[in-house]
Amino acid sequence: MPWRETPEQLARARAEVPVTVATPLGTLFGIYTPADPAAPPAGRCAVLFTRPRSHRNRMWVEAARRLSLQGFSAFRFDYHACGDSDGESHFLDPNTPNRADGDAVLAMLRERFGESRFLVAGACFDARTALSMFVEPSNTVEGLVFFAAPVMELDTLVKAHADHKDWRHLLRALGNAENWKQLGDPGRWRYMATVLGRVARRGAPQTNGEPANDTPLADSFVQHFRALVRSRARALFIYGEADVELISFRVALDTVFARLSPEDRARLEVELWPGDVHGFLNLAMQRRSLERALDWFAQFHPAAADANSVATAPRH
Amino acid sequence: MHEAPGLPRQESVLVPQGLASVSPTRAAAPETPFFFESGDRPCYAVLHAAARARASAPVVVHVHGLGVEQLTLYRQEVLVARAEAALGFPVMRYHARGHGDSAGDAAAVTLGSLIEDALAAADEAKRRTGASRVIWMGVRFGGLVAAMAGARRADSAGLVLWEPVLQPLEFFRAQLRFLLFSRVAGGVRPDATADQLIAQARAGQDVDVNGYLLHREILESSEGASLSVAMADWRAPVLLAQVQQRAKLAPGFEALATTLRDRGVPLSIAQVREEPGYQNLSNPAWECPALTRSIAEWLDALA
Repeated sequence: MPWRETPEQLARARAEVPVTVATPLGTLFGIYTPADPAAPPAGRCAVLFTRPRSHRNRMWVEAARRLSLQGFSAFRFDYHACGDSDGESHFLDPNTPNRADGDAVLAMLRERFGESRFLVAGACFDARTALSMFVEPSNTVEGLVFFAAPVMELDTLVKAHADHKDWRHLLRALGNAENWKQLGDPGRWRYMATVLGRVARRGAPQTNGEPANDTPLADSFVQHFRALVRSRARALFIYGEADVELISFRVALDTVFARLSPEDRARLEVELWPGDVHGFLNLAMQRRSLERALDWFAQFHPAAADANSVATAPRH
Repeated sequence: MHEAPGLPRQESVLVPQGLASVSPTRAAAPETPFFFESGDRPCYAVLHAAARARASAPVVVHVHGLGVEQLTLYRQEVLVARAEAALGFPVMRYHARGHGDSAGDAAAVTLGSLIEDALAAADEAKRRTGASRVIWMGVRFGGLVAAMAGARRADSAGLVLWEPVLQPLEFFRAQLRFLLFSRVAGGVRPDATADQLIAQARAGQDVDVNGYLLHREILESSEGASLSVAMADWRAPVLLAQVQQRAKLAPGFEALATTLRDRGVPLSIAQVREEPGYQNLSNPAWECPALTRSIAEWLDALA
């Protein structure tokens, strides 16, 4: 069923506050939805990343108002060069997420609205930007919903090919379009996982006290993923089995996810759904995605945590 | 509706060239987001203050497209608004009910509600700026809405039609043909024709057009509407901007131009040979400096 606005949701729409955020890259425009004062306070603000900020079919508008009724506050905004915001247009590369915009927004939410604990969500480029929010420790992000983003980049493949002889065979294989098509076959994946695991176990030099990225994954993804793990926050990764982006994520599952301690791994949920999640190009998938994100966020409400003892306190 | 003094009387074809810095990526003057009421619902808007003084400048009111086209053309609209503001025109953009950050259901959107929102936006724009006249800028389906809203007011001083929808039914058919084409391209054999899908929507069944439902309400409420009929009494200056790959004016636009010309309406035509994916969100979002320049040059000549 498509969204039908209720009187309660209309009341939350009336409470929304348009906000501008000054950043070095120009002014960002966004909408703050305060928590419904009649609801038990969740004490958390959900920041919903996308462009333009309403999301396809106004998914994040509905999300913000429904979260508000549950006691969460919410914020959606346009990155620089998107929607209402200032800035020079450019291709949005998922491996170069708009971290500075997100950091500026979370700082504004702390200073202007007194928010101190955050949940973040996004798809594709926006998922990668949401993930990058864990790098800045003062962001205090407790939960992430990450929909269908690529986590590998061609540039990294090319660079690694030149620098690391041991990766050569693997990278050549990954660079072959025919092999990528075959990776839809589970048997082929088992083989590739074996190769990946063998190569990855050879270890890598340390840089700044942190292991170098010894995977074919994007450096930025590995860096931000490690920040997520360090934060002890929880995350939900959702991909469609038909998503092209799943190919690179399977490599992440076989490398950075596989190396996690059982405790760390338990905080990261992964769901593979039939069909194509990435484009949100049909209403059924939109509704399923929205409902899943809202349900998952609901676990962070203190009332739910008290009832289910599911919340894990973040370190920061 | 009345004509502003000093307006071009002859039809002209704009060839985008001048106003080199016409697409400012940053606001040259304050841009203020706010909500206003229309039809008992809050509607989101942004007021672009004029960046320089321009005597008796009308306020420009942008009327966006329908459904997903509100998103796909959004960035280009913002850049046009900034160019207009840089020339000394205050501008108001808004989200109609059931769109963007405004309240309301997409299912409840009708041609009537869109016109009502446009009229409320124009009132709000005049109230906030003190302008006495309105120039309408209608994008795609919003062109039809702007023409119908503007025709009801004596303060309409001009109309920009940006690749306007001439007949709603043809617009919906084109959307559905695109959907069917994308299914075929994806290896899926469509199980209904465009007309059968329209019949399903009229019967109240869900017709999912790439994640947006085609609702019976908008179909039925816009049945029989046409841009040429809406402009039957229009007299203020018009800019018709065709945004298509074709070199010549499309037959429907040519017919509209002939009608307006015959009635002595000051008409300018801009032809921008680009084809944005009206139903596809692109990365980066579609921007068209040539279209921005055409609109800015036309406005600059108005007052």
